[in-house]
Amino acid sequence: MSEFSLWDIVYNLLLAARWTVLLSLTAFVLGGLVGLLLLMVRTAGNPWVIRLVRGYVELFQGTPLLMQLFIVFFGLPLIGLDVSPWVAATLGLTLFTSAFLTEIWRGCVESIGKGQWEASASLGMNFTQQMRYIVLPQALRIAVPPTVGFSVQVVKGTAVASIIGFVELTKAGTMITNATYEPFTVYGCVAVMYFLICYPLSLFARHLEGKFRHVAR
Amino acid sequence: MKQFFKTAIAAVAMLAAPLGAASASALDSISEAGVLKVAVPQDFPPFGSVGTDMQPKGYDIDMAALIAEELGVKLELVPVTSSNRIPYLNTGKVDLVISSLGKNPDREKVIDFSDPYAPFYNGVFGPADFSVEKAADLVGMSVGVTRGAIEDLELTKIAPSDVDIKRYEDNNGTISAFLSGQVDLIATGNVTAAAIIERDPPRKPEPKFLIKNSPCYVGLNKEEPELMAKVNEIIAASIADGRLNAIAEKWLGIPLPEKL
Amino acid sequence: MAYKFDFGAIVPHWQLLFDGVILTTELTVIGAVVGVGLGIMGAWARASRAPVISQIVGVYVELIRNTPFLVQLFFIFFGLPALGVKLTEFQAAVLAMIVNLGAYSTEIIRAGILAIPQGQIEAAQSLAMNRVQIFRYVVILPALKKIWPALSSQIVIVMLGSSVCSQIAAEELTFGANYIQALNFRAFEVYFVVTGLYLVMSILLRMGLKVLGNFLFERRRHV
Repeated sequence: MSEFSLWDIVYNLLLAARWTVLLSLTAFVLGGLVGLLLLMVRTAGNPWVIRLVRGYVELFQGTPLLMQLFIVFFGLPLIGLDVSPWVAATLGLTLFTSAFLTEIWRGCVESIGKGQWEASASLGMNFTQQMRYIVLPQALRIAVPPTVGFSVQVVKGTAVASIIGFVELTKAGTMITNATYEPFTVYGCVAVMYFLICYPLSLFARHLEGKFRHVAR
Repeated sequence: MKQFFKTAIAAVAMLAAPLGAASASALDSISEAGVLKVAVPQDFPPFGSVGTDMQPKGYDIDMAALIAEELGVKLELVPVTSSNRIPYLNTGKVDLVISSLGKNPDREKVIDFSDPYAPFYNGVFGPADFSVEKAADLVGMSVGVTRGAIEDLELTKIAPSDVDIKRYEDNNGTISAFLSGQVDLIATGNVTAAAIIERDPPRKPEPKFLIKNSPCYVGLNKEEPELMAKVNEIIAASIADGRLNAIAEKWLGIPLPEKL
Repeated sequence: MAYKFDFGAIVPHWQLLFDGVILTTELTVIGAVVGVGLGIMGAWARASRAPVISQIVGVYVELIRNTPFLVQLFFIFFGLPALGVKLTEFQAAVLAMIVNLGAYSTEIIRAGILAIPQGQIEAAQSLAMNRVQIFRYVVILPALKKIWPALSSQIVIVMLGSSVCSQIAAEELTFGANYIQALNFRAFEVYFVVTGLYLVMSILLRMGLKVLGNFLFERRRHV
């Protein structure tokens, strides 16, 4: 039986927290890019594209992330495409994050009045110009707080990456608990670490919210 | 992007190829790669749990090391849970599963099992004030068990219908539930119960009755007779020369039984 | 190594999946109704000027929103017995979902309340409505209407999140999936089926919430 001191527990959890941070960053950056792309094609697109994007969002918002990762990691090899845990996690988390972000941002773009689209069109602007100069600058301001807020969800969502072998914060907590039989100490530490990662993000989101509300008025 | 298309084309090509066209035997590809990938538990002491360096250790890990050594290849340990160990094997991400696997007919339809390599006695344990001597005495009590473990499957078969069996995700959930008093009794391996008693908790899992002698087997993919023969040969040899006995004494604190 | 799918292997265990769907639905419905109720009270407390209550609610919201649901669940199920409160796995799971959704919906509903123009409240005051009337007719209904889509999404997220309740032996849908795959090792088949079931459930839930939203808010326009 291994003997973990409190320091061993904290130290190992900190090591594992690096994965949590790395997975979160990857998911957030790539998910943001894909989400932006989806937002563009959806805003510009014909009814079929809109339906397609809606289906995509429905699929990835409507199923547990755990199952999505499982199917990417273990399902692709069944059709002869072997993926590393890293690729699978990146792919799975990106799909998941992009579905949520594209929905959040869609709401923001739609909150820009129709008149502005029409006015800019009457000035002879094309879609790219409208987006670039009229819609995005305004939508961005509304979009930043909920986007930062969602990043907290991404951080917590990375916990399911343990199904494909990542020893991130939650998984490390489980492993150590199984060796120590001290769930309270270990999960207490896990909760504190998540809080330390997430709370600054939440505060930042709130700060931005206050700032932009002020500007908007 | 180019790479993506290449991969995509390769994927389509593989789909088009007859899936049955089996690759070289698993044994050949192991010796060719020079690496044996083994799925081992990290949540089930003394068979597999982590040390302070987060590396797995235990009976199953020593067994994996022994097989790799005999095959003359390097060992790569893949820590798994009970819910993903079989997909790891089925998708070729590992060559063997040495994860205190118990055998049943349904499972044998999906993977193959070697000869047994470790003894495992599971039973029902609980505090002294519960008078239980057989499954029929469990009426009206709650029993915690790790979901899908052999003791779960066997207990479900023999327990009267009004026994409240609570199935937890992993060993730790089961133990925590017992220690916190969420269940009256616990069904688990004798070594697990002994390990809990050693820590002198307020609720002690003392032996009530034996459910089953259910030894552990190495899990392999189906239709790998060469690898199977080799693994069985290694198990037999290590029993004969006492190396397996040494592993048993080291982790279980008891010698191997006469017959596994 | 070609894997042979055998979805038939799930059929004998359909009862587990069926029971799982039922339990997941129960957890979601109770969690959503009570959780949103808690959220309304929390939002009211946050919006009110009572500093102590508002701060307590603020701490609750931040604690819950910034830690994983699984950890919250563990503390309720394994931790409360140490304080003499013993809950069954169902009670613990429901409580965890209520506490979790309560925190999120407090935040969401608060945002809706903040969006109510001050002038409307003043107008209501000048009509001699009392505080409860104002909150009910002028504040909460318009606020809920405004944030109903966000709240609906959060309820769907909570439903999907209930899958971790299997860890404390609550026999919901993911429990059924993991149990079946432990029995017959058919992880792929089971997970495909269960993913589909979750998808159907979340689409139905979203539709149901939309209908409920129409019922709650649109009808009143004509009153």
